[in-house]
Amino acid sequence: MADEVVRLDKVRREYLVGDQITTALGGVDLVIERGEFVAIVGPSGSGKSTMMNLIGCLDRPSAGSVQIAGDSTNELSDNKLTELRSKAIGFVFQQFQLLPNTTAIENVMAPLLYQGKSTKEARKLATQILTQLGLGDRLNFDRNRLSGGQQQRVAIARALVTSPDIVLADEPTGALDSKTGAAVIELLKDLHREGRTVVLITHDLEIAASAPRRVFLRDGLIERDERGVR
Amino acid sequence: MRILGTAALALNRIWATKVRSLLTMLGVVIGVAAIVALTSIVDGASQGINKSLATLGTNQLNITAMAQDSLTEQDAAALAALDNVSVMFVQAQNQGTIATQDSRVNARLVGVSPQYFEAVKPEIALGSYLSSSSFAATSKDVVFGADAANDLGITKELLGSSVKLNGQDFRLVGVLDDQAGFGTSGRVYVTIDSARKLFSQYPYVSSIVIQANTPEQVDALQIQADVLLRERYGLGVETTARYTITNQASLIAAVGSITATLGLLLTGIAAISLLVGGIGIMNIMLVSVRERTREIGVRRAIGAKQSNILTQFLIEAIVLSLAGGVVGLILGEIAAFFLAVLGDWVFSIRLDTVLLALGFSLLVGVVFGVWPARQAAKLEPIDALRFE
Repeated sequence: MADEVVRLDKVRREYLVGDQITTALGGVDLVIERGEFVAIVGPSGSGKSTMMNLIGCLDRPSAGSVQIAGDSTNELSDNKLTELRSKAIGFVFQQFQLLPNTTAIENVMAPLLYQGKSTKEARKLATQILTQLGLGDRLNFDRNRLSGGQQQRVAIARALVTSPDIVLADEPTGALDSKTGAAVIELLKDLHREGRTVVLITHDLEIAASAPRRVFLRDGLIERDERGVR
Repeated sequence: MRILGTAALALNRIWATKVRSLLTMLGVVIGVAAIVALTSIVDGASQGINKSLATLGTNQLNITAMAQDSLTEQDAAALAALDNVSVMFVQAQNQGTIATQDSRVNARLVGVSPQYFEAVKPEIALGSYLSSSSFAATSKDVVFGADAANDLGITKELLGSSVKLNGQDFRLVGVLDDQAGFGTSGRVYVTIDSARKLFSQYPYVSSIVIQANTPEQVDALQIQADVLLRERYGLGVETTARYTITNQASLIAAVGSITATLGLLLTGIAAISLLVGGIGIMNIMLVSVRERTREIGVRRAIGAKQSNILTQFLIEAIVLSLAGGVVGLILGEIAAFFLAVLGDWVFSIRLDTVLLALGFSLLVGVVFGVWPARQAAKLEPIDALRFE
């Protein structure tokens, strides 16, 4: 049996907005296997952000079941959900979202420290991964002294440093010019080639095309699940 | 994350917003400084009062005449004959003027009997007390109190020279160091006989001081003295006396309770400013939580638990408050030092003041930091991440 890192069964997610129930996801089945590179594509309001929150262990479904790296998130307490997130997910956010007043290496160390690792060990691992990503000479640079592309690489290093089961990238090219954006996509492709599972959330069909599998969402349902290079 | 790592984050943030942090601390700084300085004022004041009361002797009874002809030397002699009286002296006092060749000021002229100096033992600054030869009938020696000496600019060279009291020539033999004394300002001391020549009439005295053998006997002696004097003047129990009897020990107790109340009052006022300081910290922490909602969201996403966020914000509030407390303590002690120099008290840093100041500022940090920190910890990661 293949190794499933994400399994969604009849997942519904409803929100109460005022006194109206809004359905963000209306019963979705999805399996992502280890080592896949999947783009989740859809316009705003399609449910892709909700999907990201569920896969990213930031949220729990209203109905159905979500399993991440073999663990069901449905019944987990906030603490357990955080532990699962910390272990299984590496986030790459739109607009980098580096922590303020911190250097490149401190950003990358943070997830390790939250896992309870020692400062020494965290520093070693963070230095290693930043060096791999070509930022070995920028370790102690503040956010303001890093270019856009460098910031995004710090963000990716932060996502990878815990060796997560899934790298979850939310519109990672959104804030970048097309050249730097393309470089980030190349980086994600490299990660996929190294055997990592990459989930890319985007509204941009062109960006989505770089992924070998594309899941199209519309109005909270999966419209199309496409495989193969176009 | 380990607690040290979290503390480092909090310190990092405080350092990154130095000016704001300093302003936030200011309320606590002022509150703690006020508490420390005020405690020291009350302390110093009661210290000074107690010291001067104690120099008068805690086993003394002061019997003061209500009118010029209320008490006589015969009363004094009768009182001295009571059991358990060790020392007795009389005083006759009045306002007058004192003058050197250069200047002239008002002063209180005090005539004392020979036992006065032996009983009170005031510190001497220059020269000597009135000696036994001074008490010879023809002697006209005078000893100045510190304030009177200052007013006239008395120096060592003037010892032995002539000064005028109410226009009559006296010889200056000594100056007392009774500056911190209680009600001794502007006094000069002459023999009771000299005083009679200046303003008083035989056999009247303005006060009689008797001293019990031991402090335990004072209360009983006070009753005996009162009974004796009432008998001598045929006064009933109900009649208002011609004199008042003051017990030094009860005076000290009364002063103690007044200064304690005063201290409580002043500390209460200072505590209000500490409260305001705490609210200032809470206010800034709430603003900070709002400003950093995105950061909190990111931290939650990359693995921070609610407890990590709570601790980070709580430590930040506590550090702000405690740092304010330390700065306030230092400023307060500096102020207390200068007040002590001005007021001529003994300056000391009291451990209980230090612990109180630090304890209070810690408490303020915890009390006013918990709510904002809980607000931060309770944020849902997805809401926090989406926050603009």
